Amino acid sequence: MSSLAADLAIDARDVEKSFRSGFFRARRTLALRGVSLAVPRGTIFGLLGPNGAGKTTLLSILATLLTPDRGSARVLGLDVVRDAGALRRRLNMASGRPSFLWSLRVAEIVAFYGRLYGLSGSVLKRRVDGLIHEYELEPYRRVPYNELSTGLKQRVALAKSLVNDPDLLFLDEPTLGLDPDVSVRVRAHVAALRRERGMTIVLTTHYMREAEELCDEVAFIKAGRILAHGSPDDLKRQIKLGSVIALRLDPPTVPWLADADGVLRVTPDADGWLECTVDDVEKRLPVLLRQLVGDGVVVRNVQVREPELEEVFVELAR
Amino acid sequence: MSWRAEWLAVWAVVVRNFIMASRNVFFFFELLFWPIVGVVSIGFMTKFLELTPAQGSFVLIGTIALSVVNVCQLEVAYAVLMDVWSKSIKHQFLAPIGIRHLTIGSWVVGMVRGFLVFVLVAALGNWAFGFRVLQPGAWAVAIFLFGCFVNAWIVGVFVCALITLFGNRAEAFAWASVNLVLMLAGIYYPVSVLPDAAAAVARAIPLTYFLDAYRSHFGFATEFASPIATGLALSAFYAVAAHWTFFAAIQRARRTGLLLKMSE
Repeated sequence: MSSLAADLAIDARDVEKSFRSGFFRARRTLALRGVSLAVPRGTIFGLLGPNGAGKTTLLSILATLLTPDRGSARVLGLDVVRDAGALRRRLNMASGRPSFLWSLRVAEIVAFYGRLYGLSGSVLKRRVDGLIHEYELEPYRRVPYNELSTGLKQRVALAKSLVNDPDLLFLDEPTLGLDPDVSVRVRAHVAALRRERGMTIVLTTHYMREAEELCDEVAFIKAGRILAHGSPDDLKRQIKLGSVIALRLDPPTVPWLADADGVLRVTPDADGWLECTVDDVEKRLPVLLRQLVGDGVVVRNVQVREPELEEVFVELAR
Repeated sequence: MSWRAEWLAVWAVVVRNFIMASRNVFFFFELLFWPIVGVVSIGFMTKFLELTPAQGSFVLIGTIALSVVNVCQLEVAYAVLMDVWSKSIKHQFLAPIGIRHLTIGSWVVGMVRGFLVFVLVAALGNWAFGFRVLQPGAWAVAIFLFGCFVNAWIVGVFVCALITLFGNRAEAFAWASVNLVLMLAGIYYPVSVLPDAAAAVARAIPLTYFLDAYRSHFGFATEFASPIATGLALSAFYAVAAHWTFFAAIQRARRTGLLLKMSE
């Protein structure tokens, strides 16, 4: 194995997956169409894309829950099909809207999965107690799962997903349906996992702020294909959405502004700002300011804003 | 996998099934209500028909087999069913365990429950109606119960495979299959009274031989040359077939995505 491959937590190449459904299983849906992906060890990697894009399918193949039709995928250096048994010891997963056995209590759920991963005796007890403490579940350790709130269930899922101290953690929409304050805490936990344990984390999310805040790299997947891949900043540059120069002017509108060189569009907002999207802010800002002042326009305020990942998402999903 | 790891994975399932069994009212019905109803109704039927004690025991043995196999095989089916109901099955198959751990762990709990049913039904039958099902002695009872438990495991594992192949639609097999097997294996009658085609099927069911062997202790002539050996050999064959079928069903569910669908 090359040193480059050894540094990768995930090395997927040309992965294809289709599902059959309907009468006599005649209808075929292509979920993944030749997906290749490289995720460095110790990073938080985000898989973004609209509903039905193939995010969960890809995650499930990498987690050995699904087998690919074609292509290969190595996770932590192990083949997801041939070495699935050995690989399962080293990874784990938590999903949004988690489900566990309804009448098991919180501590029993974590302990059950701990035993499945080979823990027993005092080691199991310490691990269960530690995770319950870490996820602030102590008051609920004897509460049956079906009596927990959505946020508590999510915390149980996260605690369960760490019971084997995995090298690689898959999080499928980990903050789906959670209150904002709970989401913030979940994100803090995820960031701490990478920071303190050096864990590789692959997450899918619909929340761009979450991806932007947490992920070192993201891949945008749509209709089973990866359309873009890189750091959130790289992606913004790749998509060439432009930057926004927000101006507060007197007079508030300038007719020639929309036709100026490098200005992609001008949008007035309700607060009296003019938002000028430009292709290159460093090149266009001084020129525009010179032209405005030369035209007798008073520039009362200027703000420059880079595009957000959400705008990249909207552009790519279009 | 080391022996310790093998045991721990089995133990995880034992603990889980035991906890679930102790907290579910339906499990109480499976353990007490139906077996008692079975013995009482059979007892009164034998009185009404004026059967001899030996004939009464013959029929009661069928009831015992039905109760024991039913309770034990349901527990084996719960290895998959409980996770299907709670939509948590993917977590089970994400863990580094094999299907043997699931089915054996559930089977251990099933055998404990099946044994409790046996003791209860045997005691009740003796006290209320004078049936002496323990009369053949410890070895005969042990072999009979072993036959019931092995058959329960086989039926339960096939049910697990069906659920993994067809999803929730196959749930009904968990309750229906054991009754079908018992009907063919001669639950209340010798297989010689069955039509030829049904008797041929009965001869392919291992439980038929264990029932025949146990009933021979009550003065009923055995219908087969070496019933226990034949029952064991057939059980071994079906056990391998059931395990392989369940394994293939899981592989297929990983291929078709049913494993994920059952978790949504």
